[in-house]
Amino acid sequence: MGSSPEVLGAGMRTASATAVARMIDGVKVYGRGDTEVVALAGVTAEFPSGQFTAIMGASGSGKSTFLHCMAGLDRLTSGRVLVGDVDLGSLNDRQLTILRRERIGFVFQAFNLVPTLTAEENITLPLDLGGRRPERAWLQSLVRVLRIEDRLGHRPSELSGGQQQRVAAARAMATRPELVFADEPTGNLDSRSATEILGLLRAAVDDFGQTIVMVTHDPRAASFADRVLFLSDGRLVRELPDPKVDTILDVIRDLGD
Amino acid sequence: MWRITLKGVVAHKFRFLLTAVAVLLGVTFMAGTMVFTDTISHTFNGLYSSIYRHTAAVVRARQAYATSSGTERRRIDASVADTVRGLPGVAGVRLTIEGYAQLVGKDGKPLGNPGAGPPALGEAWTDSAELNPFRLLPGGQPPRTSSEIVIDKHSADLGHFRVGDEAVVLTKAAPQTFTIVGIVTFGSADSPLGAGITVFEPATAARLLGEPGKVDQIDVSAAPGATQADLARRIDTALHDPSLEVLTGHQVTKESESSIHKDLSFLNTFLLVFAVIALFVGSFIIFNTFSIVVAQRMRELALLRAVGATRAQVTLSVLGESLVLGVVASAGGVAAGVVLAAPLKAGMAALGIDIPAAGLVVGPRTIVVSMLVGVAVTLAAAVLPARRAGRVLPVAAMREVAVEPTGHSVLRVAVGCLVTLVGAALLSVGLFAHVAHRLTYVGAGAATVFLGVAALGPVLTRPLSRVIGTAITSVRGTTGELATENVARNPRRSSSTAAALMIGVALVALIAVIAASTKASVGDIIDRAIRADFVVTSGTGNPTALGLSPEVQRRIAALPEVSAAMGVRVGPARINGANVYVGAGDPARTSRLIDFGVSQGRLEAMGVDGIAVSERVAADHRLALGQPLTVVFPTTGARTFTIGAIYRAREVTGDYLISLASAEQNFRQQLDFQVYVKLADGVSPHAGRAAIGKVLADYPTAKLQDQTQYKHQQAAQIDQLVNLLYGLLALAIIIALIGIANTLALSIHERVHELGLLRAVGMTRGQLRAAVRYEALIIAILGTVMGLVIGILFGWALVVALSSQGIRRLVIPGLQLLIVAVVAALAGIVAAVGPGRRAARLDVLRAIASE
Repeated sequence: MGSSPEVLGAGMRTASATAVARMIDGVKVYGRGDTEVVALAGVTAEFPSGQFTAIMGASGSGKSTFLHCMAGLDRLTSGRVLVGDVDLGSLNDRQLTILRRERIGFVFQAFNLVPTLTAEENITLPLDLGGRRPERAWLQSLVRVLRIEDRLGHRPSELSGGQQQRVAAARAMATRPELVFADEPTGNLDSRSATEILGLLRAAVDDFGQTIVMVTHDPRAASFADRVLFLSDGRLVRELPDPKVDTILDVIRDLGD
Repeated sequence: MWRITLKGVVAHKFRFLLTAVAVLLGVTFMAGTMVFTDTISHTFNGLYSSIYRHTAAVVRARQAYATSSGTERRRIDASVADTVRGLPGVAGVRLTIEGYAQLVGKDGKPLGNPGAGPPALGEAWTDSAELNPFRLLPGGQPPRTSSEIVIDKHSADLGHFRVGDEAVVLTKAAPQTFTIVGIVTFGSADSPLGAGITVFEPATAARLLGEPGKVDQIDVSAAPGATQADLARRIDTALHDPSLEVLTGHQVTKESESSIHKDLSFLNTFLLVFAVIALFVGSFIIFNTFSIVVAQRMRELALLRAVGATRAQVTLSVLGESLVLGVVASAGGVAAGVVLAAPLKAGMAALGIDIPAAGLVVGPRTIVVSMLVGVAVTLAAAVLPARRAGRVLPVAAMREVAVEPTGHSVLRVAVGCLVTLVGAALLSVGLFAHVAHRLTYVGAGAATVFLGVAALGPVLTRPLSRVIGTAITSVRGTTGELATENVARNPRRSSSTAAALMIGVALVALIAVIAASTKASVGDIIDRAIRADFVVTSGTGNPTALGLSPEVQRRIAALPEVSAAMGVRVGPARINGANVYVGAGDPARTSRLIDFGVSQGRLEAMGVDGIAVSERVAADHRLALGQPLTVVFPTTGARTFTIGAIYRAREVTGDYLISLASAEQNFRQQLDFQVYVKLADGVSPHAGRAAIGKVLADYPTAKLQDQTQYKHQQAAQIDQLVNLLYGLLALAIIIALIGIANTLALSIHERVHELGLLRAVGMTRGQLRAAVRYEALIIAILGTVMGLVIGILFGWALVVALSSQGIRRLVIPGLQLLIVAVVAALAGIVAAVGPGRRAARLDVLRAIASE
């Protein structure tokens, strides 16, 4: 097949100092006139390779919009998003889709899996869509780390919430993407499953050098990250390195005042 | 991606089931029609090959022009056979004579279904075994005397006749009783296409069926070693007569096959039109199902887009689902069509057309065409929903469930109006312009109008459903209100569901309007034009197929109770390059019996060389009184007539009228189509009827009718056709009702949460069922109302277009259309039974919990 995992995996293995993705002066405006809503009001942020970043903010702060635009699901009104050195604004729909497929992974809050496909088929979905053959060894190590080896033949409806989310995580990393975006990945899970999935994301960063960007409103979830970016009213207002639950809560209290 | 598609179909197989049925029914009808006609065609090809196996050459009169049936020929002298018989290479000769001969059953009624069924034919027996198409069954003898006949096995079975029985046979001569001396099959079949066959001794055949000393054609068999082509050439040279033609056996076989093929292709096309209508209606159901399913799966499709499926991949996956659906449903349709061919055959047999076919012929064409059409219709209907699926934004994967856009844009109104206008324009061209393929224009125009109105549907749905819903709400309160809201909340869905029903109802309404208008117009003409007290008919709508012996007219005219009786005949001819039918009657008597509305000249003054033409023809061809007009008869060739009269009432005998004397010279068929009778002064209708009835007792095919009865009979003939059309349209309506059930089922599936809530806050199962029922009712009424409006408009346009054909009155059969509306609405309620029950059976707790 025409796959070239070396090239695709290259971004992940570059020096950790270089940014895998960046947003420069990102502005996103919804609606027009009276109904105009500014979701992002000039955000600049970098995501260095191999880092786990959490994005926090009150609802309406623009954190979901930020994620959607970073991940190429939505387009900025002005400003630029770069993945590697590719400007997403210069891509047409098809090119953007292929970039998402090959260089970006997703974990969503819910409705994460295609209900008609088995767990395994869901994991290899991005590869199938690109007509690529999965790297067996990589997938095996993924499902082993995520502890879903014995669940591969099941459909999503036959899996628990935690298992579903682990399958989604495996799918997100199946293509060895440069970036994984997670949108409230623990939002629908009980605390035990949540801890488990967060531990696994952490392990992916530590063991495989995976770059992860996670949107959450849960301080405990954010504490698993290397740093936390705080958004408020569409602006980046604070960056917290080495976050702990206490320090995160302090920042939230500060921002609330 | 293909795997996702397949899994999608399998996972939603119940969702697709009803949709598949919609496609399947249309394809079934299509495949069934083709299997049916192929089977007949195949059987006849086999039959002809075996019957003509030993026919090396055929001698017959040349036609002045090729008629559609090819049977209208001058008879030739039997003496020609003597010349042929003596030629080298000729082994045997058969003198073929064919004409009208109707067997009368033991109950005194004509056997078979004269007028509507297959023809009743008389033939001459031949002793040349290899040239004789009839095989005597054991125990029978050939007819040897003028009072002996042999009949076909089909008629024998039908009339319970056995060898030795006596039977009356009607011919153009007086009725006569014969002894049945044998029973024959036609090759291997009981009879040719169910036709009633009576075989006479040759001289008797010539007298009763044709003319003494004349035959229709001469069949020749070849001695060993002589080729067909050589033999035909030798005969042609020997006869040296340009009015005769000599064909080889192969040519005649081909000709017979292609003539059957032509007849069948008409039947085929006629039935296929209804299959196409059914598929057209089905395409609305497919469109609707895919639209709903795509809307319900927006989130899943967005997820695919988010993880890297391109727009094209998503579109193709939905199209792929429609492909699978189309292939499966079409394959099922082909299989069901093969099964359907059997009852179709039985249905035709019930009409008296017995097809001598054992097996069914499933040709590759049947399979390929049915599959292609079924799949193409499914794919085409799914294109728009598939494109919508592709356009889903990847972010939608993370938002709340996307809903179908409900607003109607200015664009939709503009496009809808434009499409409707284009359709109306096409329709007008087909109806009113002088163009080729007019019916194609009419069909395409009607389909386009339906699409245009369907596009406008969502705009009309909301106000219309509110009006209908208000009526229900006033009686039923909350459940009615709920139903109204549910119809109005997805106007696109409701309107395309209703549109499917609209098509069927519109066509039914159209036919009802045309039928009522035709009946009224025919009634008017009968009132105005017919001065006769009685009309004797031969019970047929086809004036050239069979008729009444001229004896009937002669004997009635001789009655003292009768002042005038006139037979009317119709024959084919070619005038000004067009194949037409020419009527014939006795000009001296016409004005006392029929008011032709003569505007110029006098019918009474018309001699054997005179012709009368209708005002329409006179205007079209700029014909004036006293001008010569050339009429080409297939039998006798070109004859020049002088225009002696111009008349208005073209509905009685058509656009041309010649004298009876001229018809006797130029028509091959010497039977009367109808006899008009005027009683003598002072004779009561009762006495007249009794006197005429006594004469007609000898002619069981003849029907004596006064004006009112005649009018009723004409109306009954129209009704018969109309009922057949209704029956065929029922399929389209059934498919539309499946569509209503389907839409409701899909909507309920989507509203599980909401329905659970309603149940939780105290709605009873019965109320829920009622809400679903009223929803169906509103959709059904919506479709019916739109259908009635369009149908009446189409009917009006058609009546205007047909006014020159004699349909001068527009009649809208209110009661009948009301019944259609009520039946359609009730059927809508029936369609809601299944989905309503499912909604009511919902587990409240699970419904609320379900996402």
